[in-house]
Amino acid sequence: MSVLVKLSTTLRDCVPGYDPVAGMEVDVSMHGELSAEGLAAVIGIPRAEIKIVMVNGRQSALSTVLRDGDRVAYFPAVGGG
Amino acid sequence: MSVKLDASNSLDAEALRRFLALHEGSCEGSFVRIGGVRALAKELEISEREAMCALLDAGFWPERFRRSRSVLSAEGLKRLLRSRVFVAGCGGLGGHVAALLARSGVGAFVLCDPDVFDESNLNRQMFCTEAALSRPKSEVCREGLLSMASHLDVQAHALAADAENLPGLMAGCSAVADGLDSVPKKVMLEEAAARAGLPFVHGSVNREEGFAFIEAAGGRRLAAMWPDAGDGDEAFGASPDTVASSAAGVACLMASLLVRALAKGEVRDSALLHLDCSVPELERFEF
Repeated sequence: MSVLVKLSTTLRDCVPGYDPVAGMEVDVSMHGELSAEGLAAVIGIPRAEIKIVMVNGRQSALSTVLRDGDRVAYFPAVGGG
Repeated sequence: MSVKLDASNSLDAEALRRFLALHEGSCEGSFVRIGGVRALAKELEISEREAMCALLDAGFWPERFRRSRSVLSAEGLKRLLRSRVFVAGCGGLGGHVAALLARSGVGAFVLCDPDVFDESNLNRQMFCTEAALSRPKSEVCREGLLSMASHLDVQAHALAADAENLPGLMAGCSAVADGLDSVPKKVMLEEAAARAGLPFVHGSVNREEGFAFIEAAGGRRLAAMWPDAGDGDEAFGASPDTVASSAAGVACLMASLLVRALAKGEVRDSALLHLDCSVPELERFEF
């Protein structure tokens, strides 16, 4: 099972070499049932820095259980003006 | 000769054409230049914005909006000219939003920002020039708007928007544009707009990305989007790095959403738009 991860702004600093065009295809087969929060831990994004999660284009809870082929986007606070 | 508004506040097109003919160069066909608008406003003792509305009613079109004609109806342009937008924050987003709205036809603004321009604003803020450094953003923004459109009615307030003063600042406005610089302040602004019964257009930026959406009066979707913003988490209050393309791009989305709504006279909740200038790409999220 794999999911596509997209990281926003400062969260990209947590994953050296992150490519914003392609995102990250992550194979999570070995982790069993995995939530959006669990996936963040797998790829090394601190829970405290994640303020919004979008799963397949819809705002979702960190507890959302992921399915094969999901697209998961993590955002920090976005509040500049 | 003179022209007069009739009982229904409209002008006779033939009388108007004869009036404009007396002011050389004031029109070309049905397009009326600034001089013609000013002469008519003076003759009728009305504002230039109302003179443009009267011209539109009579089948004329202001020359300054000639290139908008295939996009806007006369009714839509009149609605814009009679709109007053409260712009909270005149920095990266607010300055661009106000400029785009003014060029699109919005006739009046209330601007609010407590800060002065500093050198680090030069990388992205519409009205920040070297000559404007250390000057109040709201006042510089007002001058910039009037230099591009002297018919505007612009009030500038060099103060920080807060829950106490927002009802007064928003009084008489048609909509609220969010150019504030932290999530908690933005949520406070949304709450004030909801209480005032005004549509709210949100924008926010961080580095090369940003969000924008519009919501109808009474909406509180921003508060729902950031449920933890009131918990004192410093991450929500930080001013992130931002570049010119994301500030201008998000402002463009905000202005497009608002012009469309004001011209139609109807505001519908939009999707959450996410602009990523680093790719670049634009995504739509449901929330």
